[in-house]
Amino acid sequence: MAWEIVTTILFWFGLYAIVAISLNLEYGYAGIPNFGRCLAVVVGAVAVGGIVVRILMFMFHSSGQFLIASGKASSIANDIIAHNPSFGIGLLILSLVIAFLIGLLVGAIFILPSAKLSEDYLAITLLAISEVVLQILYYNTDIAGGYYGVSIPDVFNFVSGNRDIVFVSVILVVAFLIFVFAEKLLNTPYGRILRAMRENENVVKAFGRDIMLLRVKTVAIGSGIASVAGALYALYTANVVGILNLYSRVYWTFLPFLMIILGGLSNNRGVLAGTFVFAITKVLLETYKSEIKTALHIPFSSTWLGYILFGIVTLLILYYRPEGLIKEKPIVTKPIKDRMRKG
Amino acid sequence: MTLIEGALIYANLMVLLALGLTITYITTSVPNFAQGTFAIFGSYVALTFLLLFNLHPYQSLPLCLIFGGLLGLVTYLVALKPLISREASVVTLMIATLAWDILLLGIIGAYSGYLSSVTKKSTTNYIFTPLDYPILGFQGRLVVSSLVILITILFLTFLLYRTKFGIALRASMENPALAEIMGINVEYTRLFSWFLSGALAGLAGGILPFKQQIFPVTGDVLIVSIFASSIVGGLSSLLGAVIGGYIVGLSESLVSYALSLYFGPAILSYSKVVPLSILIATLLIAPRGIVSIRWRRLLKWLGR
Repeated sequence: MAWEIVTTILFWFGLYAIVAISLNLEYGYAGIPNFGRCLAVVVGAVAVGGIVVRILMFMFHSSGQFLIASGKASSIANDIIAHNPSFGIGLLILSLVIAFLIGLLVGAIFILPSAKLSEDYLAITLLAISEVVLQILYYNTDIAGGYYGVSIPDVFNFVSGNRDIVFVSVILVVAFLIFVFAEKLLNTPYGRILRAMRENENVVKAFGRDIMLLRVKTVAIGSGIASVAGALYALYTANVVGILNLYSRVYWTFLPFLMIILGGLSNNRGVLAGTFVFAITKVLLETYKSEIKTALHIPFSSTWLGYILFGIVTLLILYYRPEGLIKEKPIVTKPIKDRMRKG
Repeated sequence: MTLIEGALIYANLMVLLALGLTITYITTSVPNFAQGTFAIFGSYVALTFLLLFNLHPYQSLPLCLIFGGLLGLVTYLVALKPLISREASVVTLMIATLAWDILLLGIIGAYSGYLSSVTKKSTTNYIFTPLDYPILGFQGRLVVSSLVILITILFLTFLLYRTKFGIALRASMENPALAEIMGINVEYTRLFSWFLSGALAGLAGGILPFKQQIFPVTGDVLIVSIFASSIVGGLSSLLGAVIGGYIVGLSESLVSYALSLYFGPAILSYSKVVPLSILIATLLIAPRGIVSIRWRRLLKWLGR
C-alpha cells in the first residue's frame, strides 16, 4: 500500500513536472499567460490515440469502424510487444516524437492571435480556443475515441512484474531530461532574451528582435513539451479519455499554474518543488478519499474538497508569497561569474 | 417558433452575463473567469429555495439577485481587492479569478452533495423546464427573461444618465485617476459594479435551469459564449455587451440548428464552435468590438 502511494506520487510528480516546466517556460520566462495549456496536453494524447493508433491500424490492415479497428490493431500490437520488447520501446519513442512535433506545430499556430492582442484578450482567446477544441475532441468519437476512449497498445506489455514502476521511471527520466533542457535553455542568449521580453517588450524590440517570432518559438517549444506529457499519460492509462474529460481545464491549465506559482515563477527548481508538494497533496487526497469523507462527516466527494483547497491555496500564495517557495535568481553568465570571483 | 423562443431565451441570458462581465472589466480591468460559475451559483440558489421551501424558481429570482450580488461583492473583496492594493499585474488578477472559479466550483459541488443528502433528490443534474407555465401564450421563461432584460436596461440607463451616482460611475469608468482627483470614491464604483455583475449573473442563473440541464461544471462551458458576447461588444461598452449578447446568443442557437439540418443532430454537440468563431472573427476584423465600427464610414466605403 505504502509502496503504491509512492509510485503514484512519483507518477503524478513526473507528469505534472513536465507540464509545469513547459508552462514555466512560457509564463515564467517569457511572460506569455497561456491559459490554454490543456490544449497542448490533449494534443499529445490525441497524437497517440488518433495518429499512432492509425499508423498501427494501417500496418496491421485493420480497417472498419475506428473504435473497433483500433481495438483490433492495439491487441495485435500488444501480442507483438509481449515477445518483442524493441517493438514496444520503438512505439513509445515514436509516440513521444510524434506528440512533440504535433505539439510544436499546434503551439506555433495557437499563439498567432497574440500578434494583435494584449495580455487579457490573449488569455481569453487561448482559454476559449482550448475549451472548444477539447469539446470537439470529446464529442467526436472518430478523431481519438472521444468520450468512449480508444484502446492504445501497452508499450510495456513485455514487462512481467510491476508495469507501473517501469512506467514511472520512464516518466521521471523524461521529466529529468526536460528539466535539464529547460535549465540549460535559460542560460542561453535565447533564454535571456525571453526574460528581457517579459520585463520590457519595447527594449527587446529596440534591440532589433522580433517579438512575435520569439513568442511563436517559445509557445511551440512549450506546447511540444506539454504534448509529451499528454502522450505519456495516454500511453500509461492506455486510453485517451482520461485527458479528454470535461474537467481537463482544471487539471491541465489551472493546476499547472498553481504549481508554478507555488514553486516560484521562472525558476525550474522551484517549479519542481511546487509540483512535488502538489503531487503529494493530490495523491493523499485521492488515496484517503473515503477516510476523509468519514472523518469529516462530509456528504460529498473529496474531489470538491480538493478544488476548494487548491483554489484557496492559490489565492493565499498570490497574497502572501507571490515569489513562491524558491525565489527567482539572476542568471549567472560567464562574465558575471568572473566578476563575482574577482569580488 | 419554439426554436426562435429558445434562441431568444438563451440570448437574453447571455446579455445578462455579458453585461456583468463587461461592467467589472470596465471598473477593475480584469476579465472575470468565474462569471459562468456565478450563474451556476444562482441556479443553485434557486434550486435550494425550490427544494427546501417549495418556492417556485420565478419567485426566488429576487433572492438569486441578492445572493448573486453578495457573491460578486465577496469575490471582489476577498479575491481581488487585496491583490489590486498590492498593484498586482493583470495576469495575476486573472489567475486569481481562475482560482476563485475553481474554489466556487468546489463549494458548489460540495454544497450540491450536501443538499442532495438533506433532500434525497438529485442535485448534480437538474432542470426546471417541467415547472414552467405559459404566460400570454409564450413560454414563461421567454417572458420572464425578457422582462428581466428590460428592467435591467431601464435601470442601468436611469442610473447612469439620470443620477449623480451614475455620473460618478461613468466618470470613474472613463478615467479612474481623474475621477479620483475630482473627489469620486472609485472604490464605491468598483463595489457597485461587482455587486451588479454578480446580481445579473445570479438572475441569469435562476432562469438558466429552465433552458438546459445544470451540472456544477456547467459554468465552465458557458464561459466561452460569455467571453465571445463581451468581446463582440468590445469588452468596455455596456451597449456593446447587450448587442454582443444577442448576436452570440442567437447565432449560437440558430446557426448550430441550421447546421444540424444538413449534418444531422450530432453537430449540436459542437455548438460552442459558433461563439468561438465569432470571437476570433471579431478580434481579427474589429478588435475593439462592434461599437467601435464606424458604420457611416463603412457604408460610404461600401457604396463607393
